[in-house]
Amino acid sequence: MINTILLFPILAFIMMFLVRRKCFDKLMLNIYALGHFIATIFLVFKANAQNTFIPYFAVDNTNKIFLLVLSLVFLMTVIFNNGYVKHLPFDEKRIRRYIFMTMIFVLSMSATVLSTDLGIAWIFIEATTLSSAYLIYFNRTKNAIEAAWKYVFICSIGIALAFVGLILLNLAAGETNSMNYAVLYQNATQFDPFWLKLAFVFMVFGFGVKMGLAPGHFWLPDAHSESPSPISALLSATLLNSAFLVIVRVFKIMNIAGVDTYARLILTVMGFASLFITAVFVYHIKNYKRMLAYSSIENMGILAIGTALGGAAYYAVILHLIGHSLAKASFFLTSGNILELFESKRTKSVKGLIKADPKTGWLWVVSFLAICAFPTSVLFISEFLMIKTMLNQSHYILCILFVLLLTIILFGIGKVVINMAFGEESKDKEELVKENKNKLCCCMYTPQVIMLIIVFVLGIYIPPFLNTLINNTLAGF
Amino acid sequence: MEKGFIILFGLTMLYLAATSRIISHIRLLIAQGVLLFLICCTNFAHTEILNFAFLTVETLIVKSILIPLFLCKVQKKTGSNRDYAPNVPHFYSLVIASIILLGGFLVSNYWMSSVKMISPIHFGVSVATIVISLWLITIKHHIISNVICFITMENGIFLLSLSVAKEMPMLVNMGVLLDVFIAVYILGLFVNVINKEFKDLEVSHLSELKDYE
Repeated sequence: MINTILLFPILAFIMMFLVRRKCFDKLMLNIYALGHFIATIFLVFKANAQNTFIPYFAVDNTNKIFLLVLSLVFLMTVIFNNGYVKHLPFDEKRIRRYIFMTMIFVLSMSATVLSTDLGIAWIFIEATTLSSAYLIYFNRTKNAIEAAWKYVFICSIGIALAFVGLILLNLAAGETNSMNYAVLYQNATQFDPFWLKLAFVFMVFGFGVKMGLAPGHFWLPDAHSESPSPISALLSATLLNSAFLVIVRVFKIMNIAGVDTYARLILTVMGFASLFITAVFVYHIKNYKRMLAYSSIENMGILAIGTALGGAAYYAVILHLIGHSLAKASFFLTSGNILELFESKRTKSVKGLIKADPKTGWLWVVSFLAICAFPTSVLFISEFLMIKTMLNQSHYILCILFVLLLTIILFGIGKVVINMAFGEESKDKEELVKENKNKLCCCMYTPQVIMLIIVFVLGIYIPPFLNTLINNTLAGF
Repeated sequence: MEKGFIILFGLTMLYLAATSRIISHIRLLIAQGVLLFLICCTNFAHTEILNFAFLTVETLIVKSILIPLFLCKVQKKTGSNRDYAPNVPHFYSLVIASIILLGGFLVSNYWMSSVKMISPIHFGVSVATIVISLWLITIKHHIISNVICFITMENGIFLLSLSVAKEMPMLVNMGVLLDVFIAVYILGLFVNVINKEFKDLEVSHLSELKDYE
């Protein structure tokens, strides 16, 4: 099954190269998304499905949830993409490249999630930058070039620093000449604490850049706002998670080695810095896609804080990861609909969205409710659990700061969403919106509906199989 | 002998900090590539033959020939001769780079006595190179200069990875990937594309995307 996930894009590339038709490429992307999802279901729920002839990749208790979320978001994005690419004003060759690079991007993320070796994970994190840079640059506008340049340059520096972390980890490991997670966990108690701490700083900063944690978050608002909406959804809901998984794996080494207090401190600082930066920038935001990108930085900060807290917060982290990925993917896909309708990313240009297109308008509002942890969104449970853990651990000041920053962010985002969704549609946009409404088909609404239903149902009922999966994942921290 | 090459490698960073001519920076990259090759040669006895061949190709062909050649082409095509008016004058850059290099030596000598896998000079120069490069990226205005500083940072990381080459050849090979990454993307695609779109390669053009208007 792992072979299906990792080898299909290569086979697809050969076939796409031979056939050279846009509709065939779209078909291959759909087959890959469906195949990816089915393979993931087998890998997650069937113990003996893990037959692979490619070494270094496996499914374990830690990466199952990450793979499941990645696969589901990918499938939903591809469904949306079917409607999205229909009206793209670009030549066939460019769209074919877009489809191929999307497959390579998902392949790189899947390989990062499935890798059993820190070195391999690093290589595939690098591969995600290569593939997604093209996708960010896809529109070929000046802004897209700027965003892609910043993305490549900042992420390259992050990746290079993470590599320094790997070298330092090797120094810390002494005689253990392997980057395999299992081997590292087994020998972690014998690692040199000084070098291990130093390695962690480099790795958490390096992979943190990719995850969008402050202070390495600068690429994220630009890249998310300039890339096509399905790619923004993938970047926010899956790429950031893949980088987070690598940080979780490294965090476990620190935990076993007994230097987790230090790791927790760094994660807390980076987490709160992410919340603070979001609170500052989101307050007067002028571009709704940038606003969603800042919300991703905020949520990555919450994941870092949850990891640092430990205990019951680990459960909250996994719930938050699932909820954020689905809600944010839905939010970004809906922003794609708005961009299609109003042809502008400026918040001021969009008014009376619910009147202009009720389906898009309500999806926009409900996505906001999901991301702002409105009950019964699963994010409500996760954030509530984190606050409870902070209080149980007597971190009262942190708790107040956490709630205060979240409230500011909620107000900042809420103000924009409400202004866009309600009120009267501006007269000069009426004709444009009416014309563009025909471009939206049912596959550009359905994925968001499915993801939002999952987010709100999980807030009141977590099925036993998912509960078991989450509990198994906790061993990965 | 190896230590002599490493010290020379560290000194090249001072030259980078003190000059503004882009062609001099490119020549410096060639020198760094050759020095890295010579450092690899001094460890020849401890390296597997296949791995040594790989390192030779990487240091001599990729680092000393291909990347500088490509940068030269870009420099000629864009007519970029100097990095005008960096944020910090060159004299101060030189002083700060010297302090970082000295700091690298002192700190590594202080901390490294317990680690047998790596010599203090190796570690000190590598870390100083990485820090100087990162700092220069922040003060240079020209995109080619930024790319050159990124490559020198990579060279510093490569030097660090050479110190663990005996134990983990895979790590060194991964370091090589970073170079391929640069060659393919940053140089091959974006520098050309940016030049086409923006007429010159000043980073100040790349500041349109803002949160506030």
